[in-house]
Amino acid sequence: MDNIIDKLPGFVDTIQSVQELIITNIVLIGQTPAPTFKEKRRTSVFMERLAEFQVDECTTDGYRNPIGIVKGTSESKPPIFVVAHLDTIFSKDVDHYYSIQENSITGAGIMDNSVGVGVLVSLPEIFRKLGLRFESDIVLAGVIQSLGKGNLRGIRHLLKTWATPIRGAVCIEGAELGRLNYYADGMIRCEVDCNISHVDGWEHKFKPNAILVLNEVINQIMKLRLPQKPRSRVIIGKTSGGFKHGMIAYDASLGFEIQSNSDKMVKSIFNCIKDIVEGTSHEYEVDLKLKTLSNIHAARLKFNHPLVKSSADVMKKLDLTPVSGPSESELSIFLSRKIPAVTLGITRGENLHQQNASVEIEPISKGIAQVIGVIMAIDSGVCDEHLLD
Amino acid sequence: MNISWIEKNTFHYSEFSDLTRLVDEKQRKNLKISLCLPTLNEEETIAKEILIMKSELMTRYPILDEIVVVDSGSTDNTRKIARGYGANVYKATEILPDLVKFKGKGENLWKALFVTQGDIIVYLDADIKNIHHRFVYGLLGPLILFDNIKYVKAFYDRPIAIGKSKIRPTGGGRVTELVIRPLFSLFFPELTQILQPLSGEYAGYREIFENIPFPIGYGVETSMILDIYEKWGLDVFAQVDLDRRIHRNQDTRALGRMSFAILQTFIRRKKKLGLVDYKEKLYNEMIQYNLIKNEFKPDIYKIEEHERPPIIENPEYREKFKRIS
Repeated sequence: MDNIIDKLPGFVDTIQSVQELIITNIVLIGQTPAPTFKEKRRTSVFMERLAEFQVDECTTDGYRNPIGIVKGTSESKPPIFVVAHLDTIFSKDVDHYYSIQENSITGAGIMDNSVGVGVLVSLPEIFRKLGLRFESDIVLAGVIQSLGKGNLRGIRHLLKTWATPIRGAVCIEGAELGRLNYYADGMIRCEVDCNISHVDGWEHKFKPNAILVLNEVINQIMKLRLPQKPRSRVIIGKTSGGFKHGMIAYDASLGFEIQSNSDKMVKSIFNCIKDIVEGTSHEYEVDLKLKTLSNIHAARLKFNHPLVKSSADVMKKLDLTPVSGPSESELSIFLSRKIPAVTLGITRGENLHQQNASVEIEPISKGIAQVIGVIMAIDSGVCDEHLLD
Repeated sequence: MNISWIEKNTFHYSEFSDLTRLVDEKQRKNLKISLCLPTLNEEETIAKEILIMKSELMTRYPILDEIVVVDSGSTDNTRKIARGYGANVYKATEILPDLVKFKGKGENLWKALFVTQGDIIVYLDADIKNIHHRFVYGLLGPLILFDNIKYVKAFYDRPIAIGKSKIRPTGGGRVTELVIRPLFSLFFPELTQILQPLSGEYAGYREIFENIPFPIGYGVETSMILDIYEKWGLDVFAQVDLDRRIHRNQDTRALGRMSFAILQTFIRRKKKLGLVDYKEKLYNEMIQYNLIKNEFKPDIYKIEEHERPPIIENPEYREKFKRIS
């Protein structure tokens, strides 16, 4: 492992020498809109770019996740996966054209996840520049339908249908450089829709207001006593509703997530909220529906798992301080299938999910060196003897 | 009218996406190719254009030999950024400094001929938001692969039907459809086959560009087409569909001034060719009105289309490029 780590600072300079190519890939990928469920055009660009760099195989799986494979030297070692989600939160009507300044790239979706995907398609050329060959096949996958209602369908399908064992995985996110995610909380993402009949009937002397009904639901959720152990929380993340200022709202909706490092606790909180929704619906005599949009199970590597330790060592060698937290991304699906995996960030930036999101160019080389260091660590066998608990 | 030109000389960029073939043919013909980006306050888009072209068409496929930015005196960071990303950057006023100074896109294009080295020069507007290297290799394809083609113009996606079952993009913006196309239809019907004569992306051999005059402003694209057509005929032209181009929109008043300059250029060319004669001098002011506090106030723009003579007539140029006038 020391042998690998000592090479990393030297890698940064070599990666810097192909910076133009990396930024070109980031921009060409990023300026192709890819809202969740409509990733087809970006998938084509992804495939074109991978084909340009002459990966050994370039194809899509049965779910249309684009995949490139860099063949390894060993016939027997399982593959290593490197993945980045293709979809963004922005619709195709949003301006996706990026602006490059002296040390920054700005535009919608740059952090989440054009940088991650651009780096992913650049990896074959970077491996070539660094003269790297791996024992394992390296599977480069741009996964679709990851965000929101996508519910990580792309990665779920890819792993479900992958025929052979997987040695380990690295998930790439544009930001933030220094993140080291190795555990995923259990999560249920829900929506409550309130609809009030437009027709006057005997039930209501006064028409209820859909926004106020949802407000009552929020108030009751806020009254729930959530434990600190297992660590649990409910995040109220989205609301919408109403027509105009002077009119009672007939429709409103509320989006929230229940997160906990215990699946049991997630389920228990979900049941409490279900009761709240049913009770409010009954009391206010309105149509209130609770929908589950997605869910993931809690899963984790231990901090002393060799992949986590090696990843931390790689980062420290590059003068990065590892910062850990739960991640609900592709990582959770790898971990739930007992495949050792970590999520790493490539660079620093600001305005994450806004149209003027911006990333720094200079740290990208270090971010990539870190990803390569972790791939090399997995290829050297750090995950081979340690199955997940 | 030769209407078969549009069938023979109209291409799609994807016909030239085999970049290895372009590199081989370029090397076989021993060609040098320059990309020129004329700029004025383009800090939002310039880096992206340089970076993508450099990565794809210099580092990965050695098609371009140089990227040159000729700037009209930007007050933002255009020159600094362009230099930072590796372009050769010039202020237009610093090229051939002894000449009278003008400001305009045509001036930059003309002066670029003095500072570039290429046998072929590609001119690309610097405000393209959806830049892709197809904008350059698409224009270069016909020039490198077909010996008779000397000048190539871009067009973009505006669907129109040609032939029985063929649908191709065509049509231009408002100025093209309201000004240029009627003029071409009246005086040069063959040229109506050039679908977007005002597109700012074109490429050609030096021997063409050095032998034609360049209006310094908006008229440069129109005059270029008329002069090349007059000297070499339509068969040296080709046009390439570059798919989509996204750039800044101009308001109607700005387009009005643009139309004025184009008409000036057109009329001057007609006069030079002896095709028309005007008894009275033409005015050189575009007058537009604003309603300010219930009063109509005129906005008067003096638009004088100065014109640079063919650069081959310049002694310094002849000396530098070993040309005989």
